[in-house]
Amino acid sequence: MSDGNKVPSILVENVSKWYGQVIGINDVSLAIEGGVTGVLGPNGAGKSTLFKLLMGRIKPSQGSVKLFGIDPWEDTSPYRRIGYVSESERLYDWMTGLDFVSTLARLHGMTRKEAESRAEHVLKFVDLYDVRHKEIGKYSKGMRQRVKIAHALVHDPDLIILDEPLHGCDPIARTSIMNVIKELGNQGKTVLVSSHILEEIERITEQIVILHNGRLLALGNIYAIRDLLDKHPHRIMITTEEPRKLANAFISEEPIYGVRFPEEGKLEIQTNDLSAAHSVLPRVIVESKVKVSRIDNPDDNLDSLLEYLIGG
Amino acid sequence: MEEIDKQGRNLSTTVWTQLDRKAGAITELTIRQLRNRISTWVVLGIGVLLISLLLIFYIDSIREEFEPYDNDGDSEDWDNDGYPLGQERIYGTSDYDESNFPGSTEYIYQGDIDWNDQPRNHYGNHTWFSAWGYFTPTWIDIETENPFFWDGDWIDWNLEPIICEDAGLSDEPFEAFEWGSLSRNYCLYENGTYLMFGAIFIGEGNFFVEPGWNTEWGYLTESFFVEKHPKSMYIDEDDIDWDGTKISSSQGFDDDGDCLREDYIDESNPNDDNRNGIFCDVQWTYDLNGNLVSIEADYNVDEDPDDSRWIGESSHRTFVIGTGKIAFVMILGLFLPLFLALGLVRDESENGTLHYLLSKPIHRGEFILYRLLGYLAIVVSYIVILTFIIAFITSIIGPGESIIRLSDYPVWLGISLSTILVLTAYGSVFNTVGLVLPKYGVYLCILFGIWEFLMGLFTITIPNSSITMLSISHWAIQIIDATVMIAWSDTSLMQQRSEAFGLETGISFFWHPPVHTLGTGNPFIALIISVVFILIFSVGMILIGQLIFRKKEIM
Repeated sequence: MSDGNKVPSILVENVSKWYGQVIGINDVSLAIEGGVTGVLGPNGAGKSTLFKLLMGRIKPSQGSVKLFGIDPWEDTSPYRRIGYVSESERLYDWMTGLDFVSTLARLHGMTRKEAESRAEHVLKFVDLYDVRHKEIGKYSKGMRQRVKIAHALVHDPDLIILDEPLHGCDPIARTSIMNVIKELGNQGKTVLVSSHILEEIERITEQIVILHNGRLLALGNIYAIRDLLDKHPHRIMITTEEPRKLANAFISEEPIYGVRFPEEGKLEIQTNDLSAAHSVLPRVIVESKVKVSRIDNPDDNLDSLLEYLIGG
Repeated sequence: MEEIDKQGRNLSTTVWTQLDRKAGAITELTIRQLRNRISTWVVLGIGVLLISLLLIFYIDSIREEFEPYDNDGDSEDWDNDGYPLGQERIYGTSDYDESNFPGSTEYIYQGDIDWNDQPRNHYGNHTWFSAWGYFTPTWIDIETENPFFWDGDWIDWNLEPIICEDAGLSDEPFEAFEWGSLSRNYCLYENGTYLMFGAIFIGEGNFFVEPGWNTEWGYLTESFFVEKHPKSMYIDEDDIDWDGTKISSSQGFDDDGDCLREDYIDESNPNDDNRNGIFCDVQWTYDLNGNLVSIEADYNVDEDPDDSRWIGESSHRTFVIGTGKIAFVMILGLFLPLFLALGLVRDESENGTLHYLLSKPIHRGEFILYRLLGYLAIVVSYIVILTFIIAFITSIIGPGESIIRLSDYPVWLGISLSTILVLTAYGSVFNTVGLVLPKYGVYLCILFGIWEFLMGLFTITIPNSSITMLSISHWAIQIIDATVMIAWSDTSLMQQRSEAFGLETGISFFWHPPVHTLGTGNPFIALIISVVFILIFSVGMILIGQLIFRKKEIM
């Protein structure tokens, strides 16, 4: 544990990886230690390449990857302290959940008995204890994701890497998995979780890494990034029966500098300070007594974030 | 675990026990995976079916017992005169001539006038044979019937003679003679002289042979009655005569007399094919260590042995050896790994389940090794059980005095060992090929399998051909050959016997003494060399597989 404090759990220095002519990751440097970090990026941004480099599946074309100070391509010893949830959806469907987790636990050198009790423990943690004797083939999508998480946690790792753990899950499963991830962060573990949906990551963590076209676009607190974003023109779309009446109410407010009526029953307000705009929004609506059925932030998604980051 | 180490716990034990646990986990996972696949059960089931069919075939042939077989074919009666070939041989008659049989009339040659002999006249009372010329008779035998049923040249005196002058053969018969103008091979001149064109007849008189023609004469023997021997008398009638001495010596006796018969043995035909100076014997040659080198029999000596006495044991051994080499080593040895080992790592990689295993602190090289261990655990137990079952059944119903043929078991053990080594070697090859060429590797493996099968067949027939040494099957078959020599040391004798006396046991085809004995002839050396060779090959292939897998980027 002592050397774990000196070196970061994940240290990626000037790493590039290209497959023939195609670039997977381009000169990425990262250091991650403690808490939950979200890796954001659209499909093909290089998230999986980054994770495969971290898991020693592929060798960097340039630069170095270190997990607890050790190169994972050369040495598998860091995996004693790492749990990995791959994006692969295939599992051994003929195995029971308990079987699966305890078999993989034994690969950490646990005895059959240790492995079984650890497996039961983590299955309880991901809320699969009741179905532990059921075959994985009969699990729902969310249960399959959770059993994958369980196997990654079975040896109580210090670093947990989850590749798109929420992919394809229904909202209930999503929430439960998010809670698990948050809980891991609260336990003081370093967690790296990837997604291509901003909202998902936002609900889990503040600390994000944004990848785009193989490059590291941004790294840091999501609100800091957001703030940067907020200082630039931003739109809020309000769906209402009386858009003009509501527009009048907004015009006088400080953070709002313009309004538009893009279509029937919609009002678009423009602001340079999104958080300030959001703080006045409820008051204005209440005071205007106009019925509002929906508020959207069309710029509040990954695409517009990326657009802004690339543009700026 | 690190903390535990710091607390002073013996590092080596923890490392080793952990390794052990990982090995156990992956091996167990592999076994369970294979058990969960239908193709595993299909291929194992087909193997059981194959062995069962062989067993049924074996039981069936054991039940029928070994029917006496006429090894020298002398019980046949080709000319249907009722006398089998063996009997005709003893009397020196032909088995391809119905009129020529023991006791039948025979023409014996006495003399002739050849085309340029002088004088060209001969007087006598003879059987004239293929007579060409002028015969002036004093007596003609018109009663004796044609003893050569096939020979149309025999003159039938009951027919009205053709007058030569009428046929246009008057003064210059040779010039005037034209085939076709005469419907017979003789004619009669008005002065009482016959002109013969290759006729056969009996008579007394003067024979004049024109220069350039020839005529032969002799006499016919009296016919006498000879009892016809039953065909069965000539089956298994000339058994192997061996007194058991194990030094080079002349053995054997021509029980049926078809070698010893008087008119056969003369200076031009001494009936000493083995050139040991003794007529009609068998030369058994041993080396200084008392090992049989060769058995050389003179023609027709000990050539039709008692099959029930000699074939039973040899046939049993042939079955064991043939089953071991072909069914176990060459068929099961190739098909089991093709179905079970090719996808050991490849399938995990293709399914994406490899990620779970490789995200654990386990070296990729170790992973390959443990996967192979899991595969071996299944195939080894399968082979051991299968060999034991077939060994048990055949050792009970097989020939021999004892209730159970204990001497079979070392051989089956050798077959088992050989098959297991082959499964290890092919398993590591196929697994590596599956890694390198996930998509088309199977075709390469099939090609490799065909090569191995052909080399196996070559090794069975010509064990010392050097090209076969480039195959695994060659060395595996050597292991079986060596264990056979160790467990059944007299197989060499049986093989020599089979070859020398024409016993159709198949043992000469299926078994040869091991080749790789470094010139000592010691089967243990061949056994060790072959085992070591296959092991080195397997370890080499596993190492190559590990090296490739370590450097492989997994997507």
